[in-house]
Amino acid sequence: MRLTDRRFAFLLMLPATVFLAVFVAWPLVQFISDSFFEISKFAGGPRTFVGLDNYVEAFTSGDFGNAAWRTVVYTVIVVVFEFVLGLAVALIFTALGNSSRIFRTIFLYPLMIAPIVAGLLWRFLLIDNFGIVNQLLTDAHILQDPGQIQWLSDPNIALFSVAIPDIWLTTSFISLVLFAGLQNIPGDVIEAARLDGARYPTILFRIIIPLLRPVIAVALILRGIDAARAFDVILIQTNGGPQQSTETMSLLVYRTMVRFGDPGLASAMGTIYLVAMLAVSVAAILFIWRPGSENQR
Amino acid sequence: MNGLETTRISSRVILWIALVLLVVLYGFPFLYMLLTSFKTPLETIAVPPTVLPSTWTIENYASAIGRDGVVASFVNSVVTAVLSTLISLVLAVPAAYAVTRFRTRFGRFFIVGALVMRMVPPIVIGVPMIAIFRNLGISDTSFALAIAHATISLPLSIWLMSSFFEAVPEELEEAAKIDGASRLGALWRVVLPVTAGGVAVTAIFAFLASWNEFLFALLLTATRSQTTPIVIANFQTQFGLDWGAMTALAVLYSVPVILLALVLQRHIVAGLTAGAVKG
Repeated sequence: MRLTDRRFAFLLMLPATVFLAVFVAWPLVQFISDSFFEISKFAGGPRTFVGLDNYVEAFTSGDFGNAAWRTVVYTVIVVVFEFVLGLAVALIFTALGNSSRIFRTIFLYPLMIAPIVAGLLWRFLLIDNFGIVNQLLTDAHILQDPGQIQWLSDPNIALFSVAIPDIWLTTSFISLVLFAGLQNIPGDVIEAARLDGARYPTILFRIIIPLLRPVIAVALILRGIDAARAFDVILIQTNGGPQQSTETMSLLVYRTMVRFGDPGLASAMGTIYLVAMLAVSVAAILFIWRPGSENQR
Repeated sequence: MNGLETTRISSRVILWIALVLLVVLYGFPFLYMLLTSFKTPLETIAVPPTVLPSTWTIENYASAIGRDGVVASFVNSVVTAVLSTLISLVLAVPAAYAVTRFRTRFGRFFIVGALVMRMVPPIVIGVPMIAIFRNLGISDTSFALAIAHATISLPLSIWLMSSFFEAVPEELEEAAKIDGASRLGALWRVVLPVTAGGVAVTAIFAFLASWNEFLFALLLTATRSQTTPIVIANFQTQFGLDWGAMTALAVLYSVPVILLALVLQRHIVAGLTAGAVKG
């Protein structure tokens, strides 16, 4: 018997479907179901159904709200800096044309570096007493002494400081994607605007950014999702400190699960985090990216 | 060459200066790590810090490599990354092909599902995985970690491969089928050779995703299968703050993939922009 095309297609997708079901969907179901239980931290210990207690505890604990807020702030810092820097770099590359090729290659390299290495490296660069960044800033007379800015140990600025390696690592992604998008903008549109006497800022905000919108949307959504899930880069720099000022959702779930040994509460927190991530990404995809809408080029 | 390229000399000079400054800023962190790795352990924590080593030494490299488990962790990293790349490709290639060629309802559901799975925070599925691998009897093996890494790279690979298959004209397979090839034969002998570049790009990204991953490795490995990122992170607690050896190991771990990036630059840019630019 000959397979219909539909059956054939299904068979080709089957192995990947089974894999994702077993190793992503099933753990997900277990994780969510754990959130309704009070679970002993010892393996094989008691497991009692507690309904929504864990959720109540999550929502009423200050830690949870704070971590959620920090995750939002961290994501916004990362995405805004990467977008502004990435667009600037992409525009410079485009303005210089083919002669900027070598620099495009150099810009690629941080993308290859492990977040854990980037986090360590920046911790080393920013460390209070012998960090090179403060030393160079002092030499340039921007700081009076190297101890003036405590990048990673001042709770007021630590959340910003831990975002630096993330920005450093992946701004290249945004610039390369935007650069590729810029190559597709028809030259005559820009020419026409120039002839009408439009200045550069007008061209940038009225023509370039609107035309690039789908590309910008995809790049920012992808980066936003990654930033909201950031874990290793923060863990290695501050481990959530000082005074929990850099404890984002990933770190809070990890700490509640592994250090405090409260899997039930950690699962409730993680489930809320998961639902929020999905809701925000789906909303972003529908309203900003709008795949298939008439605005797309 | 398009309307955004500037020809005015004064603007070009200013832009070149801006670009060089940016590249110096961008390149300096890694360069500083490289230089630090050749300093003596004492000089790495000198106050005030130096930029160039006053004496060049490979002492840090010797002490990093000489530590227990460091060489083994490198082997584990390679084995895990290769295994997870293979798992990812074997599963993603047929699935992505089916999605782009046969546009079934299940296919649409599948591709949206893959996109959704890209948004799941790893911490959420990592902990239940510990029990799953224990039940399968493969706890603390490179194979288990490779499976975990494939949960990250598979959705990405499916997306990338779909966009590469999208670019292959369907007439190609039609011709092959008229010549008597089966559907599977058409995929294997006609479509795959044309998309070899795309498969290579996908493989690079799957490999990198595993090579640089930390959280799953932290949760799922003990001494036997631990990868180098875990060892690098452990340097700071286990042996005090040995910045010299740590920077040396970080350099050793990063240089192969940075070289890979420079050599395969065109492919990597193709992969990064494949999904996004087409929109």
